[in-house]
Amino acid sequence: MGSTVHMRRCSLVIIAAGLVVVAGTAIAEDAPYLVNHSECTYFGAKHKEFVNTGLMRDVLKRRSGNVESFAGATTRAVTSRLVPAVDSSSISQSSAPVNTIDKYVFPALTVAGVAPAAPTTDYEFVRRIYLDLTGRVPTVDQLQQFIGSTDPAKRAKLIDSLIGSHSWIDKWTMYYGDLLKNNSNQTSVRRFPEGRDAFYHWIYSSLTENKPYDQMARELISAQGENTFQQGELNWLIGARVTGGPIQDIWDQMASNTAETFLGLANLNCLECHNGRGHLDTINLWGSQTTRQQAWQMSAFFSKAVQQYTADPNVKNYGYWGIVSSKSYPGTYALNTTTGNRPARQPIGSTRSVTPVYLFNGDAPAQGDNYQAALAKEVTSDFQFARASVNYIWKEFFGLGIVEPTNQFDPARLDPNNPPPSPWTLQPTNPALLDAMAKDFVASGFDIQALMREITNSQAYQLSSRYDPAAWNPQWETLFARHLVRRLWAEEIHDAIVQTSNVVPQYNIPDYGVTSWAMAFPETLNMPGSGSGVSLFLNSFLRGDRDTAVRSDQLSIPQALNIMNDPVVMTRVRASGTAAKPSLLLQNINKAPDQLVTNLFLTVLSRNPTPDELQQGINSLQSGTRTQTSEDLLWSLYNKVDFLFNY
Amino acid sequence: MRAQEQFDTFARKYPHPHQPFYSRPHITRRRWFQIFGAGVGVSCLAGPARAGVVIKSNSVQTQNTARNVIFLFMTGAPSHTDTFDLKVVDGTTPSNFSPAQIGSVLWPSGLLPNLAAHLPDMAIIRSMRAWAAAHQLGQHWVQIGRNPAAALGDIAPNIGSIVAVEKESERQQGQVLPTFLALNAFDAIGSGYLSAAYDPMRIAPAATGIPNTTNIDGQSRMNSRWSLLHTLDDKLRVDSPLGQTAADYADFTTSAQNLMYNPDVQTAFNYTADDSTRYGNTSFGNACLLAQKIVAANLGTRFVQVELGGWDMHQNIYGQAGKGGLYTLGKTFDVGVSAMLDDLKKSGQLNQTLVVMMGEFGRTVGKLTGQAGRDHLLQQFVAFAGAGVKGGRAIGSTDATGASTDDPGWSRNRDVKPEDIEATIYSAMGINWTSVRYDDPFGRGFEYVPFSNSQDLYGPVNELWQSS
Repeated sequence: MGSTVHMRRCSLVIIAAGLVVVAGTAIAEDAPYLVNHSECTYFGAKHKEFVNTGLMRDVLKRRSGNVESFAGATTRAVTSRLVPAVDSSSISQSSAPVNTIDKYVFPALTVAGVAPAAPTTDYEFVRRIYLDLTGRVPTVDQLQQFIGSTDPAKRAKLIDSLIGSHSWIDKWTMYYGDLLKNNSNQTSVRRFPEGRDAFYHWIYSSLTENKPYDQMARELISAQGENTFQQGELNWLIGARVTGGPIQDIWDQMASNTAETFLGLANLNCLECHNGRGHLDTINLWGSQTTRQQAWQMSAFFSKAVQQYTADPNVKNYGYWGIVSSKSYPGTYALNTTTGNRPARQPIGSTRSVTPVYLFNGDAPAQGDNYQAALAKEVTSDFQFARASVNYIWKEFFGLGIVEPTNQFDPARLDPNNPPPSPWTLQPTNPALLDAMAKDFVASGFDIQALMREITNSQAYQLSSRYDPAAWNPQWETLFARHLVRRLWAEEIHDAIVQTSNVVPQYNIPDYGVTSWAMAFPETLNMPGSGSGVSLFLNSFLRGDRDTAVRSDQLSIPQALNIMNDPVVMTRVRASGTAAKPSLLLQNINKAPDQLVTNLFLTVLSRNPTPDELQQGINSLQSGTRTQTSEDLLWSLYNKVDFLFNY
Repeated sequence: MRAQEQFDTFARKYPHPHQPFYSRPHITRRRWFQIFGAGVGVSCLAGPARAGVVIKSNSVQTQNTARNVIFLFMTGAPSHTDTFDLKVVDGTTPSNFSPAQIGSVLWPSGLLPNLAAHLPDMAIIRSMRAWAAAHQLGQHWVQIGRNPAAALGDIAPNIGSIVAVEKESERQQGQVLPTFLALNAFDAIGSGYLSAAYDPMRIAPAATGIPNTTNIDGQSRMNSRWSLLHTLDDKLRVDSPLGQTAADYADFTTSAQNLMYNPDVQTAFNYTADDSTRYGNTSFGNACLLAQKIVAANLGTRFVQVELGGWDMHQNIYGQAGKGGLYTLGKTFDVGVSAMLDDLKKSGQLNQTLVVMMGEFGRTVGKLTGQAGRDHLLQQFVAFAGAGVKGGRAIGSTDATGASTDDPGWSRNRDVKPEDIEATIYSAMGINWTSVRYDDPFGRGFEYVPFSNSQDLYGPVNELWQSS
């Protein structure tokens, strides 16, 4: 690839990330560095996350005192629109620390002089735990059974029954599908539905059997085989495909993805292009002291791996992938590239190629070893693996990671016994908490279910999101002084409407099967079908595409229009169905007004109406035909803030 | 080129706002504090957030000729020397590009025939040079008019969001559309640190209008429902002393309500098959059609961002056998934009609507690459029309190949940068581009255009409005 440009007086030419930035007036003839395809992901969809934890942002934030997160703002806005909490329980919530988490969270609050929020009432707890663990709201039976129970251990028992349940598996398959970026079609590669399904089923069965997370990670990092359609775990490394460059670009991406997914170190991607010094100095202390050569040594663990495509002999533009070894790539990460997606790789002194060295302990496999397996072992034995994995899951329950952003760890700023030099500060908002939880995770055998059990049983998790608005200070968010509110996922909104209305769809998903639940979809793109109304409804709630668009709980006008008018909602506010399968409204339309109102509130909002709401609801039923007024009432419940948010 | 050298010197002296991260020199702690430690002393502006926004600005003369902006973002980076800065390369440029000298402008009238007729409306800046030839970085840079990796880059609002906050006070009763609209631009940069009220409403054009703005049960039922919702909810609503936040779902609901059953909104957003055909029957064409209808409808929208992607032609830029590549995308662009300019004229809107057409950088010049394409290049074009811009000419020029600027063509006598384009848009809209607003979360002050308040480093290309 060449380009005929004239060579002129060239002042400062800086080549990085496979592109040219010229602070002067000319570009070298036949510049081999002009990028072909993908480029530094620093400035992609992830850019926001990269700069968020930068030094300058930390210092400026602390100086200005203005640190409210989106989750914190959401929390204040939503909790100001909730009816007062109803305490139904005769069981007083203990204020003694329950587990590891509490042993670190509550003392930190005390030291800071911050009062924690009140414990959740049973009504607050039950809806939250069902949504957070299973992505569903409780049925009225489940709700009343829990509320009515006098068993002091009822919360722990509910948690036990939910973790590992069918809907728990669906939700966490969706979550890990996001983390591992499973899709049938992305910018760099097509897995096709068969590859996506194989990957989906691998995640699903791993969670079903409660496979230890380190084993899951090892299977993914060391995956080798010929056929992604048959071997689900192969599909993860296929996602690291990079085109328009030498194979080293692919190995670099495999290493970057490994570091980000399993060590929370997205900055390795930056180091695959250049040394940290001069680039990451105000962004990541560890990164600023790490070299490109060290990053190459991580990539070299993949230098025996080739992504191999086997085209279908009968169908055009279709086939499966594999990760195989090849005589052409015996394990040499050569420094001999001048084109592609990253800056030139050239010999350093007499070093013409790089062998694998695990960056954090200097371990190197022997030449004849299985390099991928060696990396898998190093990564999963690294304490950082436990930290990062725990932190990712923590965020799903607490709204903020102990380290934020969760893929932006700075290894030089994690150890409270070895704090970084000023003006850097320790990165985790509670370093001892993170390390203690990571230790527990290791000791449990990397048991995801045990981790979630530990989190949800803690007093800290079970705090209310309500807090006196006059007293609240956003700086306390990172102390977890109150629970943070989140908007429901797109899939949770759909499934809650489906379940509560009892108007249950059948989605026939090509190459996958039939399901009624959005949380069971095998990916987030074009589900249940390309261009379908339900797909557009779900997209408006920003489920992402596992490629360039990350899942988000931002709000928008189109979302509001959809909740008010979309057929997903409108077909479900009717008294419809049959005697065998009645919709929610059909079940209740002829009941006495107070019962009708109460049942709708219990079903949709998982709580009783307040006396005011009950009266207003009864009044509203008087204002027209029973059909119309009851439909309107059900419609308004789906449009209330306490339906769309998990508080 | 003394001015260019001075500019380059300044950029090297203050590298952080001007260079992407990979170009910045190593920084010592002392230097870091020189840059970031200073200037946080805004103690003279105590409590800005609650007292209303304090805005500091220099006295400037804005052009103030535009009520609206239609920003056509050609993402992927179009080849400038095949389009708005045509260079005929022997043995390379296809003969069916039919280069024609139209006034002072050499134009590919075979590739872009309809726009050839609109040359008198368009002023083409050819002396623009992007900061970095990376897509996401460049696209972000253009939309926020500053380095995304600089101090406030990650919270910097889209130019459209600044326009929205500036024009907030001009909104009238019955204007139900958000000030900032994004058509086919779902990845448009949003409102940054500003309230989500200034985020663009992101939709795709559809003949039936904005989706779900009617309810199957009709308007009168909806009125009962909203009334009931208010009855159930209003007691709970406490006016937050901290003002509205991005998470204020209620405001989205109210805004959504106002879009429903609104005949003006329906008229503005619906279109016929005939209309669509006139615009080329493409999604981009439909977006252009809507953009001009919506600004004419005067329903509150003042800034429309439309995206047309696909220009990143590293391979087969001239298509294969005369199809694809620039032929397809060029036609889409040519037909859609021309029809839009025609309709803007017909409705009398062109005089008060600034149309901007640009990508995030340009493409390599001369012969094609080994893959019959063109790769990235910093040199680019930006074209303007409407709002009193004097068309039919180019401002600035490149060398014989198109690789770099020969004549900057404007008063600052250096390459035009995205920051200058930002200033140009603000000036056209009567917005003081030297403004610094003190409502940013760090209390450092957010400059509309970096260094324009303190140093007058960037500014509008006023030559667009001056007869040459």
